[in-house]
Amino acid sequence: MKRLFVRVEKCLACRSCEIACAVAHSESEDLFLSVQEKSKPRSRTKVVMNFPIQCFPIQCRHCKDPYCLDACISGALSRDPETGIIILNEDKCVGCWMCIMACPFGAIKAGAHQKIALRCNLCQEREEPACVAACPTKALFFGEPQEFKKKLKTCQKG
Amino acid sequence: MRYLIIGNCIAGINAATSIRNLDTRNDVTIISDEKYPAYGRCLISYYLAGTHREKDILLKEKDFYQTSHIELLLKNKVTSIEPESKRVVLKNGKKIKYDKLLLATGARAVPLGVEGENKKGVFRFRTLDDAKSILKLVPSSQRALVFGGGLIGLKTGYALKKQGLDVEIIVKSPFILSRVADRNSAQLITSWLIDNGIKIRTGLGPRTILGNKWVEGVVLDSGEKEECQIIIAGKGVISNMEMADNVGIRTHWGIVTDSFLKTSMDNIYAAGDVAETRDLVTGEYVTSARWTSAAEQGRIAGLNMAGEPKEYPGSIPCNSAEFFGLPIISMGHVQENDEGYETTVRSHPGEYRYKKIVVHKDRLVGAILIGRVENAGVYLALIRKKADISCVKHLLLEDWFDYGKVSHLIEGQDGFRESMSIGGDIIRIS
Repeated sequence: MKRLFVRVEKCLACRSCEIACAVAHSESEDLFLSVQEKSKPRSRTKVVMNFPIQCFPIQCRHCKDPYCLDACISGALSRDPETGIIILNEDKCVGCWMCIMACPFGAIKAGAHQKIALRCNLCQEREEPACVAACPTKALFFGEPQEFKKKLKTCQKG
Repeated sequence: MRYLIIGNCIAGINAATSIRNLDTRNDVTIISDEKYPAYGRCLISYYLAGTHREKDILLKEKDFYQTSHIELLLKNKVTSIEPESKRVVLKNGKKIKYDKLLLATGARAVPLGVEGENKKGVFRFRTLDDAKSILKLVPSSQRALVFGGGLIGLKTGYALKKQGLDVEIIVKSPFILSRVADRNSAQLITSWLIDNGIKIRTGLGPRTILGNKWVEGVVLDSGEKEECQIIIAGKGVISNMEMADNVGIRTHWGIVTDSFLKTSMDNIYAAGDVAETRDLVTGEYVTSARWTSAAEQGRIAGLNMAGEPKEYPGSIPCNSAEFFGLPIISMGHVQENDEGYETTVRSHPGEYRYKKIVVHKDRLVGAILIGRVENAGVYLALIRKKADISCVKHLLLEDWFDYGKVSHLIEGQDGFRESMSIGGDIIRIS
């Protein structure tokens, strides 16, 4: 199963991932058109900083033992049996923000216009998450854990 | 072999799901005295408000029980347990055998304990049926009184206001939400609710309920008379533990459980609002009566019943609610009067925003967030981890506080769920 990996030491906190994410989840999926949309585009990922020690983007980790799943009062959150990721059924979400209360990473945001939680779905409809494609330093990697390990090894050698 | 679960709310179905994930061979049966498949109990206020229909508040897909091979016996009340023969007795006299039994019987509303309580128009607010019977009376009513200013009282009041009724919430304690908020935050929420048309009075309770067959009003303990057609009893809940009591299972506030959620009797477990478990922060044994705890307990009890031992770490009281667009989250222990507890507050005069943290011996033990609730879970993680926060204490109230500021305290210590793996990893190469 493909996962999202973050290499902290490569992140420069340029926040390209945030912009790419917001645009990818807008109606037009276009930077210039999206900012004119009625509901402003919002990112599902956020670069967190503990300057100058570290910075890295944080988004839903699709945890193995997710706290948000226990907290969801409406049954809107569930694990997709095929992909293994946590999915949100937007029709069932009531905007109670129990998941925001539960997520240890602070990776879920409250929707501004609709009372629906905003969280990363690893861009299921795309081949590669928008944030990964946008990262200029390749701090983000999307792929099988084995692939990532291999990549790390080659990087270290170089 | 049969796993028998009494109770079809989140603790019950989570236990059934856990069992099914480990054991596909044996029978799993859920018994419920209600007539609906599992629904979000916290969502009945949405149903009462008229924003959600019955099918909107169901927790699972229609075919959930069928595809998971879980037998569901609705409209069946268990009257007693026969531990010697490992059977439960139903109200209709039928007996059902079990090998492992889960008591997820929940809790019920505390009655008001006043004269006239059995008149028509006095309601509890606990089940979908309660919501339906209140809803029937709404068109012919103008005024509703809610006794109790806890979350249930407030949510009921909010829903009835949405239905266009004149709502008054009457609380015995000096301020609303006295179990989950402090005085200042309660005042902030009170003024928000008043701005939105809900009346709130404190320091008062009911004395007598007036009317013949139907409720016509209430005499308060101050002697005042108030007219109303609907009365809601929202003064807390008590565990449905009589059945366990009768057969000698140890009970106290609820059914006493060990750290594997087993009761004092072999092969019988308890989870959810009925179970008494350890509070993660204080170490005291309490009935949590909160959704999150019930869900986690059910899941873990199921694992233990199916033979995969898993310890329940304990509960942290926490809840989230939204009234007229104002989000409120409270977690842990937020009362300030105890010695040795250090509280810091950031409020914004003129704005509906409030953030408070409670620290005890360099550990975060409680937080209240009103107005802006992002990153609330990061606080909860710090409470759960019992992390030493002395080095980050000055950051906790800042608007720009986030996971990055405390990741070193949350990650990679014992007791944190092996969580960060499936979706990916945050890799640090030193």
